[in-house]
Order: sequence, then C-alpha cells, then structure tokens
Amino acid sequence: MKTKSIAAILASLTTTTLLALDSPPVGSAAPDFSLTDAKGKTHSLSQYKGKYVVLEWFNPECPFVKKHYGSGNMQKLQEEYTGKGVVWLTIDSNAPGSEGNMTPEQAAKVAAAWKTHQTALLLDPEGKAGRAYGAKNTPNMVVVSPEGKIAYEGAIDSKATPNPADIPSSTNYVKVALDESLAGKPVTTANTKPYGCSVKYQ
Amino acid sequence: MPLAFRFAVPVTIFFSIFGAVPEGKSQTYEGKELVKAELVADTNAIIPGKKFTAGLLLRMAPGWHTYWKFSGDAGIPTELKWKLPPGWKAGELQWPIPLKTNDPGDIQTYGYQDEVLLMQEIIPPAKIDNSPVKLSAEANWLVCEKICIPGSATLQLEIPTSTTSKVANTDLFARYRQLLPKDWPGADVAKEKWSHVGSELHLSVTSATLANHPVADFYPLPEGNIVVGHPKIESRTGNEIIFAVPIDSASKDLLSIKGLVVFAQRPNGNDRAAWRVAERAAAPPAKSVPARGVLTFLFFGFLGGLILNLMPCVLPVISLKIFGFIQQAGQSREKIWRSGLAFAAGIFAWFVGLALLLIILKAAGREVTWGGFQFTNPYFVLLLSVIVLVFALNLLGVFEISLPQTATRGLLSWTAGEGEAGSFFQGVFATVLATPCTAPFLGTALGFAFTQSPVIILSMFVAIAAGMSAPYLLLCAQPAWLRFLPKPGPWMTHVKQFMGFLLLATLLFLLYVLGAQRGSDALIWASCFLLVVSIACWMKGAFIVPGASIATRRLSLVLMLVLVIGSGIYFIGDKFRSSKLATTSQLAGGWQAFTPERLQEELADGHAVFVDFTAAWCLTCKFNEASVLESATVREEFQRRGIVKLKADWTNGDPIITKLLQQFGRPGVPLYVLYPGKSAEPIVFPELLTKSIILDKLETISRTIASQ
Repeated sequence: MKTKSIAAILASLTTTTLLALDSPPVGSAAPDFSLTDAKGKTHSLSQYKGKYVVLEWFNPECPFVKKHYGSGNMQKLQEEYTGKGVVWLTIDSNAPGSEGNMTPEQAAKVAAAWKTHQTALLLDPEGKAGRAYGAKNTPNMVVVSPEGKIAYEGAIDSKATPNPADIPSSTNYVKVALDESLAGKPVTTANTKPYGCSVKYQ
Repeated sequence: MPLAFRFAVPVTIFFSIFGAVPEGKSQTYEGKELVKAELVADTNAIIPGKKFTAGLLLRMAPGWHTYWKFSGDAGIPTELKWKLPPGWKAGELQWPIPLKTNDPGDIQTYGYQDEVLLMQEIIPPAKIDNSPVKLSAEANWLVCEKICIPGSATLQLEIPTSTTSKVANTDLFARYRQLLPKDWPGADVAKEKWSHVGSELHLSVTSATLANHPVADFYPLPEGNIVVGHPKIESRTGNEIIFAVPIDSASKDLLSIKGLVVFAQRPNGNDRAAWRVAERAAAPPAKSVPARGVLTFLFFGFLGGLILNLMPCVLPVISLKIFGFIQQAGQSREKIWRSGLAFAAGIFAWFVGLALLLIILKAAGREVTWGGFQFTNPYFVLLLSVIVLVFALNLLGVFEISLPQTATRGLLSWTAGEGEAGSFFQGVFATVLATPCTAPFLGTALGFAFTQSPVIILSMFVAIAAGMSAPYLLLCAQPAWLRFLPKPGPWMTHVKQFMGFLLLATLLFLLYVLGAQRGSDALIWASCFLLVVSIACWMKGAFIVPGASIATRRLSLVLMLVLVIGSGIYFIGDKFRSSKLATTSQLAGGWQAFTPERLQEELADGHAVFVDFTAAWCLTCKFNEASVLESATVREEFQRRGIVKLKADWTNGDPIITKLLQQFGRPGVPLYVLYPGKSAEPIVFPELLTKSIILDKLETISRTIASQ
C-alpha cells in the first residue's frame, strides 16, 4: 500500500521528461484510437469508457504470441475476464508486407482456428494505435481503467521465454493487475518490461 | 498463402519450432539454415587444474540476429548452461559488445549479426581421470530477422586431457576478446559521475579518449524490475559527454544503473570498445548494529527505565507507591517485600507483554514503529487524555474511587485495593501510563531494538522494566532504607494534589498532539468531551458518597453514564471524527511541506535541500528544532546558502514518510537529511543535533561543490 502510493506519485513524476515516442506512463490518460475489426466494424477506446479495457498487441507469427495461444493461456484469460465485464481488444499493428500482418480474412481465420475469446481483434496496419502506446512487442499488454487511465503496461507474465512450459510457474502480471483493479485495489506491479517479438511498423 | 496454411495446423507448429536443431547442431526453418551452433575452446588439450576458455559460437544466416544480455525493446538473450562434471567450475558468461539496431516504431535492440562467440572460463579440477573429456552445454537462443524463431541445442565439446597444450581457435577468440568490454579505467583516463534529473539518470563521463571518438553511447544493463527508456546523449562539451537514461519504472531511489559506455569511429564499427559502468549502492546503507553493541543499548534501556519514574505521567503513580512504602514502614518486613515484588512484577508483566505483542506483529510482517505504534493514532491519544484527566481529578480530590471497606485508606484505594494483587495492578497501571511517555523519551533506543531479533527486543524491554522497578526492588531488599523516607503526615495530601497538576501538564502535551493530528477544531471537541468527563467525575465525588441515599446514588450514576456516553457519541463519534487537519498547513520560519515530488523538483532545479522528519509528539524533534534548526545562526546560514528547507511531518504516520524513514534505516523520527545537490549522496545527521554539526557539514558541502 505504501509502496504503491509512492509508486503512483513517482510514476506521475515521470510524465514530464518522457520522450515523445516512449509509452505513455502508467497513470496517464490512455490515448484514444479507432480501428476496424475483421468484419469491418469500428471500435474505439472511448466507446468503452466506464469499463476496464485490456489491449493486447498481437502477431500470429511470433513465437512469444504462440507461446500464450498454443498453450491456451491467452484464450483462458480472455474468456475469464470478458466474462467479468472486461473489454479485451487484441491489436495487430504489423505493417502490410511484414510477417504477422493480417488481412481481415486472415484475422477471421486466426480467431476461429485459435478459438480466441477477445471482444475484438483489431487491425492497425498503419501502426497508429501501436505508436500511440509505444507498443514495441508482441505480446505487449496494457490495462486501461474505467476512467481511461493506464493501470498497467508491460509484459504478460514474469518469464521472458518462448517456452510454453514456463507459463505455469510464472506470475501473470495482467491477471494480477485485473484482479487487483476489479477488487478496487491499486495495482502492485504497474510497469514491467514487455518481452517478445518486435512490432513490425511501417 | 503460407500464412493461412499455418493457421490450419496451429498447435503442431508451436512445438515443432522447438528442438528444430538436429544432430548437425544447426537450426533450420522452412528448409533454410538459420543458426549453426557449436562449442569451441581456446586450447587443444585440457591440463588438470588449469583454466581455459570455452565458448558458444553461433553463426547466423545473413540478415538474422541473436540478442545481447540486455536485448533492448524486443527479443530475449541467448542462454548457455554448462553441464559440467563434479569438481568443474564455470565463470561468468562474457558478452562481446553488441550491435545496436533501430527499427521502425522506435524499436531499439542490442544483438549480434552473422556470428557471435559467447565465452566462459572453465576451471577443471586438479585431477581428471578420463580422456578425452566430454563437456556438454545446453544453449537457447532467439534468432530474428523479420520474424523470430527460438532455437535450442544440446552441444558437446570433446577435448583430450594432457600435461601440455597448444592454443586453438586463436583468431576467433582474439577477435571476440577484442570486443569484450573492459573495466572502468582510472580517473586519469575517465571520470564518471551519476546524477538524478527528474525521472532520468544522467551519467557524465569526462574523458579525452571518449571525446576523440565520433560515436559514443551508453548501453544499459538494467536488473530486476528496472525498466529503462532509450539512452541518449544529453550534451557533449569538450571532453565531457552526458548520457541521459530515462527510467520508466518507479524505482526512484536508483542512483545509477549498470551498463557499458561504448565508443567507436562509426556506429556499430568493428573497432568498438566499451567500459563497464558499475552500479552504485541504491540507497544509503541502513544502519547496522552500532559499534557500541547490544549491551550498551541494554544499559541505556535500564537507565531509561529508571528515569521513567520521574516522567510527569508516571511520577504521580510512583509517588503513591512511595507513600505506600512510607505507610508500610512500620509493618512487617515480609509484607513490604511481597508488596514491592508484586509491584515490580506488574511492571515486568506489562513490558514483556508489550514486547511479545511487538514481536508477533513484526513476525506477521507488520510495520512496527514505536512512536507510530501509539501516537499516530488520535484515538489512542484521546483515550490516554481521558485516563490522565480522570486520574488527575482523583489526585486533586474531586472524587475518590473508594470501595467501602477501604474508604478510610484514602491514598492506596484508587486501584483494586491493597495486598499483592493491588500492588501488581499498581505496577501495571504505572507502566501503562509510562508507556506513551517512552515514545518521545526512549524512541531511539527502542527504535534500535525494533530492527533487531526478537531476543534483543525482549531483552530491551526487560532492561527497561528492570530499570523502572529497580528503586522498589532495592527498597524491598533493604527495607531499612525506608527510614530515609520522610514520615507520613498531612504533607502527603499536598504532594498528591501537586501531582495532579503534573498530570494536567501531561494532558496539555497530549492535547497538543491531538491538535497537531486533527487540527484545532478536533482539539476543541476533544476538550468538550473531557469537560463532560470532568463533570461526571465531580458528580461521583459529590453525590455518590457514603451516606447519600440509594436513590441519589442511582440517579447520579445514570446521569453520569448518560452524560459521558452522550457526549462521547456527539463530540467524539461525530464532531471529532469528521474534523480534519486543513491540508494547506502554514509552516513558519521558511519551512515548506515535504512531498517526494517537491524534493525531486528542488533537486532538479539544482538546489540543496534539507529535510526535517518530525512529529508533534516527538520531544527530541521539538528540542532539536527549537535549539538548533530555528536558532538565528543556523537559520541565517541556510538562507545564505540558499538551501531549501522541507518539513516531513510524521505526526499522523504518513505512509510515504514511513517508507522514506525505512529507506534510511530509521524506525521513526527524528531524522535529518541534507541532499547537497543533483549528484551527491544525501547526508544523514545524528538524532541529536548541535549547531556546530550543522554548520560544519554545510561548510564541507560548499567546499566540495565549489571544487567540482
């Protein structure tokens, strides 16, 4: 509790000197975006104001993404928290022509084949949302509070490996952040170094 | 459309990637060789007991790269785990200076292209039985081009043992040894200095060698939960280069991070060289057991306990006990002995109980501080005020707590009666009243004890109890000495009444603390409640007396209860509870309220900052403030040097301040810290200040600042 309040204060301190291209710090306003899903439907962050929103940067070709989908870990998280009223937006910010970029048809196929449970799988081929959040990795996770503030950003869990066997013994930071948030508590670990493949921007 | 095809067989490919390295030790992907891995050594034979270097050689396909110890914004470092026979040892993995890559989206990574050799020193035992020796290691890596593919291999290195050896793979090892970072050179070659600027760490390097290279960079090696942004060159003037490293995680006590200062003629040039920057201690080291040792502290505990008898909140109780002795002077030696022992037992019981409670709380992981344990809770202070007031009124003769059969025994009758039980509870009561007095008085010694093991905590409390009960035990042991005490007489009533005023003085101190905690409104409401309690006490003394009718007694008792409970609900439950200290408290004497942000801002502006960690109930703090910090000389000196004065008020146990106190290894206030400026380490002053300590320190600081 004590560490957290200090962390919050100090996190707010960091806002002043961050570089423009760096991620918006925890506690700051989550940048709004508007992207289309595989069916062409538009989703914007602002439309989900009032709910917890999870942003997950995605690349179907990335071994670190596959670690969490191949094991069913990501689907399970998506199912559990969308069931609790959390909005889960998966975002593909990879540029056309680079590995991991998906056409709407491919996105629909991935979602079906991998039995995903996110609210929407969004396509960001221009990397607008990705750059706004300074998302550099897949997976890169962000939790946005109902007030539209960033409550968590960083890795999905504590073991930076592509090996699915490491999942059971790692701490899932997103799960902890969501559980703490939903219980009305401040997030203990609000900022970690994400791990994974780089997002392939234009 | 290979992508779609792969989606059709999702699960198989997740795992087919792993172990994709066949016996040939090469990692292939879609028919293409991406990485060739092998173990190599710098010798053709192993001489028992003589260390040699082995290494993991990775050859990557053109365009593909593996990662450094710190991979940057993406990727993961290569791993090498030796499985050595018993008796063999391996040194640390030696990472050549990596290449730094920038990808679209401001993605910065550190890694190796084409080829890399990760070396490790191997120390064989003095006796090796078999030859050749088979050493095996497991390697894991991530190789990326546009996409990333993890690879792993179990590799073997087979070398004969011999009494002589020749070097092997000379060029290869020479090439990569050339690329290893070196230790930081002497101050004659390069001077380094860290400072904290906002959320960035600045590393200033003054070096002609570095300045002669067009490319200079800082490659960070963050550890633990530290998240760093992209280092950049803040300024380059003459021989001084300042690197700025943004720290994105909330570890603000960080004074530096590990990393490499890299320099070359061109970016990622093969001539690149680097110096290792070691990490500095994160926070000033917590105070360990002082050299004076535990026994000295126990002695001070004993002395403190002895002096406790004279504290205004304890003296009245003690004086009653003394009166008891005086009255008993004529009685049997055994009776005095038993009564004195029981009194001491009461003192010990309370202190030992308290020690055990604290040990349990500590074991349960609760943050325990002595002053904070009691005085930061306003209800505790209020309860204490009521007890002190009631007792004072009793001493002043407003009412007697009289059980019918002991009514005539006046003085001793205020507790459960006489005899051993009575003495025991007198002891407990004296100590209960004494406990809060210890916070301002014994804070330092107890604070020390709190950081120690349960045994020492317990010993400390026993020492205090021994000190406090020493006079009575002495009198018991030598009842003959009782004759040195004055004869009983009417003077005892006067002393008793005077003690009542001492208690009222204690009450003033408690009210002052309440006011500092909750503001003047709360102080008034608490006083109103205390007034009603006084009236109730007076009713007790006036109407519930032997001789009054049963009806009068009952009516008075009901009225008393109604008054106390009603006013308790109204003044305390409602008014007192809702009153808060105004947030913008005015501080006099050029002091400003402390916040961590404030401190960072002032330091960032290049000001020196003095922080006074204090609390309203801390007498040592008040003493230091009045005699030193607020003295004209010190005040002027602070002003003359432009030192910003911040006051961190811990009266209410502010958790942020608690945390900071702990960082400095202190369980409570007072604490005085001077932050000399951006770069220098904070200076911690002793708990008891003198003018000369402050003035001397200020003098030395300005000298060092001037000499820089």
